Amino acid sequence: MKLNIEGLLVYFPYDYIYPEQYSYMLELKRTLDAKGHGVLEMPSGTGKTISLLSLILAYQKTYPLEITKLIYCSRTVPEIEKVVEELRKLIEFHSKETGEVNNFLALALSSRKNLCIHPEVSALRFGKEVDGKCHTLTASYIRAQRHSDPSLPSCRFYEEFDAIGRQLPLPPGVYNLDDLKEFGQKKGWCPYFLARQAILHANIVVYSYHYLLDPKIADLVSKELTKKAVVVFDEAHNIDNVCIDSMSVNITRRTLDRCTSNVETLQTTIQKIKETDANKLKEEYRRLVEGLKEANVARVTDVYLGNPVLPAEVLQEAVPGSIRTAEHFVGFLKRFLEYLKSRLRVHHVVQESAPQFLKDIFQKVCIDRKPLRFCAERLRSLLRTLEISDLTDFSAITLISNFATLVSTYSQGFTIIIEPFEDRTPSIANPVLHFSCMDPSIAIKPVFERFQSVIITSGTLSPLDIYPKILDFRPVTVASFTMTLARTCLCPLIVGRGNDQVALSSKFETREDFAVIRNYGNLLLDMSGVVPDGIVAFFTSYMYMENIVASWYEQGILENIQRNKLIFIETPDAAETSMALEKYQEACENGRGAILLSVARGKVSEGIDFVHHFGRAVIMFGVPYVYTQSRILKARLEYLRDQFQIRENDFLTFDAMRHAAQCVGRVIRGKTDYGLMIFADKRYARADKRGKLPRWIQEHISDGSLNLTVDETVQLSKHFLRQMAQPFRQEDQLGLSLLTIEQLESEEMLKKISQMAHQA
Amino acid sequence: MASLSEEVLLVLKKVRQRKQDGTLYLMAERIAWGPEGKDRFTVSHLYSDIRCQKISPDGKAKIQLQLVLHTGESSTFHFSNDSSALTDREAAKDLLQQLLPKFKKKANKELEEKNRMLQEDPVLFQLYKDLVVSQVISAEEFWANRMSTTNTENTLSDKKQDVGISAAFLADIRPQTDGCNGLRYNLTPDIIESIFRTYPAVQQKYGENVPHNLTEKEFWTRFFQSHYFHRDRISTGALDIFSECAKQDEQGLKLMVVQGVKNPLVNLLSLEDKTIEEGYGFSAAASTSNPNRTGKENSNSAIIKRFNHHSAMILAAGSGRGDAPNDPASETSSTDGNSRDSDLSQPPIKKVKLQEAIDYLDLQREDGPKTVALNLKKSDRYAHGPVPLESQKYTTSQDIINSITCIRHEMANYVPNLAQVLTSSAVSSAIAALSPGGVLMQTGSQQAIDQMVPSEVQGELKHLYIAAGELLRHFWTCFPVNSPFLEEKVVKMRSNLERFQMTKLRPFQEKVQRQYLSANITGHLEEMLQTAYNKLHAWQTRRMMRKI
Repeated sequence: MKLNIEGLLVYFPYDYIYPEQYSYMLELKRTLDAKGHGVLEMPSGTGKTISLLSLILAYQKTYPLEITKLIYCSRTVPEIEKVVEELRKLIEFHSKETGEVNNFLALALSSRKNLCIHPEVSALRFGKEVDGKCHTLTASYIRAQRHSDPSLPSCRFYEEFDAIGRQLPLPPGVYNLDDLKEFGQKKGWCPYFLARQAILHANIVVYSYHYLLDPKIADLVSKELTKKAVVVFDEAHNIDNVCIDSMSVNITRRTLDRCTSNVETLQTTIQKIKETDANKLKEEYRRLVEGLKEANVARVTDVYLGNPVLPAEVLQEAVPGSIRTAEHFVGFLKRFLEYLKSRLRVHHVVQESAPQFLKDIFQKVCIDRKPLRFCAERLRSLLRTLEISDLTDFSAITLISNFATLVSTYSQGFTIIIEPFEDRTPSIANPVLHFSCMDPSIAIKPVFERFQSVIITSGTLSPLDIYPKILDFRPVTVASFTMTLARTCLCPLIVGRGNDQVALSSKFETREDFAVIRNYGNLLLDMSGVVPDGIVAFFTSYMYMENIVASWYEQGILENIQRNKLIFIETPDAAETSMALEKYQEACENGRGAILLSVARGKVSEGIDFVHHFGRAVIMFGVPYVYTQSRILKARLEYLRDQFQIRENDFLTFDAMRHAAQCVGRVIRGKTDYGLMIFADKRYARADKRGKLPRWIQEHISDGSLNLTVDETVQLSKHFLRQMAQPFRQEDQLGLSLLTIEQLESEEMLKKISQMAHQA
Repeated sequence: MASLSEEVLLVLKKVRQRKQDGTLYLMAERIAWGPEGKDRFTVSHLYSDIRCQKISPDGKAKIQLQLVLHTGESSTFHFSNDSSALTDREAAKDLLQQLLPKFKKKANKELEEKNRMLQEDPVLFQLYKDLVVSQVISAEEFWANRMSTTNTENTLSDKKQDVGISAAFLADIRPQTDGCNGLRYNLTPDIIESIFRTYPAVQQKYGENVPHNLTEKEFWTRFFQSHYFHRDRISTGALDIFSECAKQDEQGLKLMVVQGVKNPLVNLLSLEDKTIEEGYGFSAAASTSNPNRTGKENSNSAIIKRFNHHSAMILAAGSGRGDAPNDPASETSSTDGNSRDSDLSQPPIKKVKLQEAIDYLDLQREDGPKTVALNLKKSDRYAHGPVPLESQKYTTSQDIINSITCIRHEMANYVPNLAQVLTSSAVSSAIAALSPGGVLMQTGSQQAIDQMVPSEVQGELKHLYIAAGELLRHFWTCFPVNSPFLEEKVVKMRSNLERFQMTKLRPFQEKVQRQYLSANITGHLEEMLQTAYNKLHAWQTRRMMRKI
């Protein structure tokens, strides 16, 4: 299908189109035209990805000078691979329609763990190990050593790539992770480094958030990406947490112990080198005076991603003299470590700001702010000089030096909390120093500043105005699209009471209440008898789920549920949960039916879809508020209030509701799909909660279904499921929620569509 | 009957039946008993005929085993060997316990099948009533050659579908209080089978312990007492024989986890592209590892683990194949832990799953309906609906046109062959003879029978004909009589026929005679029976002659 989006010819690889897709493309085009940022919410399963890709690809083809690159960020590996597959379909369609040979290069980039083809290295289980092993084979000085001693192990894939692959660009095409590996196998080149290099000239890059948002990785990978790019953050409802995570540091006693041994290793290595090759250290000293200046020159040619670990303004100066020699630096680190150790010896909770911390450290051990700022860079230089390849061993000392740089660089937006013990176990000493970022805009700011257009999109971004606030940017478009439906295929119900009229709620005062737990159990039991195939139930936290499962077991509710369906439960262990998840799907597949008990904010709620019969109903037990007693959270709330004028309760409710929406949204993945969404907490009926659900869910909540009993819910569910079980054909949708090109171009429909985007 | 060689599983001497000493044999398909000193079995039951076995209570002086048949009859065996009576009985009981369930299903299935046939076919049902219920022939004889036809039908679906296990089977074992501080659990063979299939470890324990160390009762008592059954209890004593089971389960679970999942889209381990390194992060620290969990929490997480395991096991047991067919693939990936192997098998699944995930079916023009292979037992019945049974030969329109032209052609060239025609007098006499009232039409009733007799009598007559036909069919199938079995049968059939004549035909004749004196409507039936008797008589005399 060829579409005309305000004068732009868009190739859309399907015969039909949803009205909201058209509308979405319109808004997207306007955003790109304005060279600004956008926030777009569209329900999952309405073909958001393909609309995005079609439009941006068309834009790139038509105005190759305006936009040279699309950087598509997604959250999980399967998501990344899905995007690339959709892209492949689109590009194939494009070349078929135009008859041109495709000259686009699109590829996915992932960590070494997913791309390595070295037989020994790729066999390792954890990403960290793969990275470390790769370093030991490919680090530059090791390769230099190999010139004199050829017996040292090497990675032939990297060597091949370095010898031949660097000169030859990757031919145009669409490369998914497996395609890269295959290509690498065929040529004998390392797919990871091939991809790393190829993203610089690729037209479309698909990778994970971290490559752009985590300064430590962004500095390595995304430093040289062009400015004239569109950045898309898909599934971006959690983007603020990703930003915060990448900037926060936690230091425990164990970290410090490992640091101490790290420092000792450094010291002995320095001593050894001094005896054998003193020149090396002198060379380093010289480089530190001049080398950074050189880097500075290189960086002026383009505006780089600002790096919080090595902030841009620091580059103007050389490393301060006090830590310039290796011994001095090690001594400096020791002092810093001792100071941290003494801070961890507290018996009460301490909370302070970064300037307070700096003042204290200056008074106690005479460490200045300036050398602290250079700590990370200085350590990197030292490790390079000492020719230490496996950085995993030095993760503790790197962490500490990163902390030093961060704490001395940012006086705003961070807080330091030292807790001598966990709240739940006050008798056991387990001191932790949390250095936590409270302002997600710090990490994402360079992205907004650098790239021409940044699109933040997801199925659940409501309320839309909060994201520009907390991420501190000015969008040109903010829009929410609803799902046009030929039949109401989602049925949100709010269960507020049990059959005995006991109010259902997971709020703190009543969560241990026997009657509430029993009524929750009855709800699940009754639903298990009514709903075919799969049911997914989400609890507010893992602890809460454990307690409820235990008391359901004692009351025999679980046994009764087992008469209807098999029960699978999420555990903290990811491998176990994966197994349970697969068995759950198997049970849905073979007709036995199953229930999956899971946790909001858990891995399942974030990354797994329950299409069609894998999820016919989802039950949200309680409102998934974050654990509010945490001091870090309290500090963050305070910060949000002071800095962005967001009230604590508003933020907490927003956070809870986006997770609830995420959970229930898992069940509907398209217009042919259908599912019940049961909110089992009377608090959902309140306007302030309900109003924060995405519009496409909200508009189906009728006033009659705000405070149902369990029995009423079962009745409504039965009715709904019976209706949905009727055959649903394409003709039923056509003209309403599915359009042909002719229908789309009719005057009337265009008018309707133009009203569709809900301007926030 | 013992001529066929059978596998004898167990021989027990000194077993009394009806106060006669003898030997009890347990064969592969039947149990038999023969009196001492004779090599004939006076009692022989197929296992499929046995409904259940009963044993005398432990304290009783007589050690007996009773077999109750589906027909309601029973035979009792008394184990009289002084020294080993009890062990003999136990041996027989245990063996039967293993054998009976196997045949039980078959028997049940047969019964079901028979029931279904009778319900579907009213004629057959009437026949059954006429012959079996009135005890003209036994049910066995009746079904003897019926089932052969049904069996051929069923050969295709003979691979019986395994019945899955109810997820709540453990919940169904409801303990009852027996009034004095005790609990009673009622276990049926089905439940035991469910337990064994779901928890192979228990079956193994059963196999290891039951005959030697524990009685069956003790075994199950301990099972219910063990923490294993009560999942929330944490293993305490090493004395518990089931503590090992729990460990094995744990290992099984671990193995399942290590094997990983085949669908890459649900693999949570590889979901994250770049995990946040240790020490970084905002929420990570709060919930990393808290080794100091209380006992209560521990038991809670144990419940959760067990539930996952239980469901997985039930699923595996239900799918019949277990995970056997998948083994080669999963083994390679699990044993050497090398992802290279699994990579080879991975892409296809991954590709398919990814394609599935990105497909928007409703956005595409439907390209022909997607078909699913329908597995039908009787495809013709599905396709045509009930049709008369005649085999119809199809003629194409081309055939019809051809034959019409052919006939037309023949008609055009028809030349009557007048030289071979009968004379007109012969023709008219032949016509007269064949007309009603003519010489050749004497026996045929001039009046149609339906005008003479009321419909109820007609109906009765019809049943009689069918019944007689069935019996005679049995009778005639015995010829030529070339085996002792057939000899026996033919004699029996004769008596059956006689009995039929006496109990069914005679009363009917009398009834008809009372109402319609002249109409000899049963003449033909009698004629048929007479022919049969004559045949048998001829055969018997010939046999006597030969013997002499």
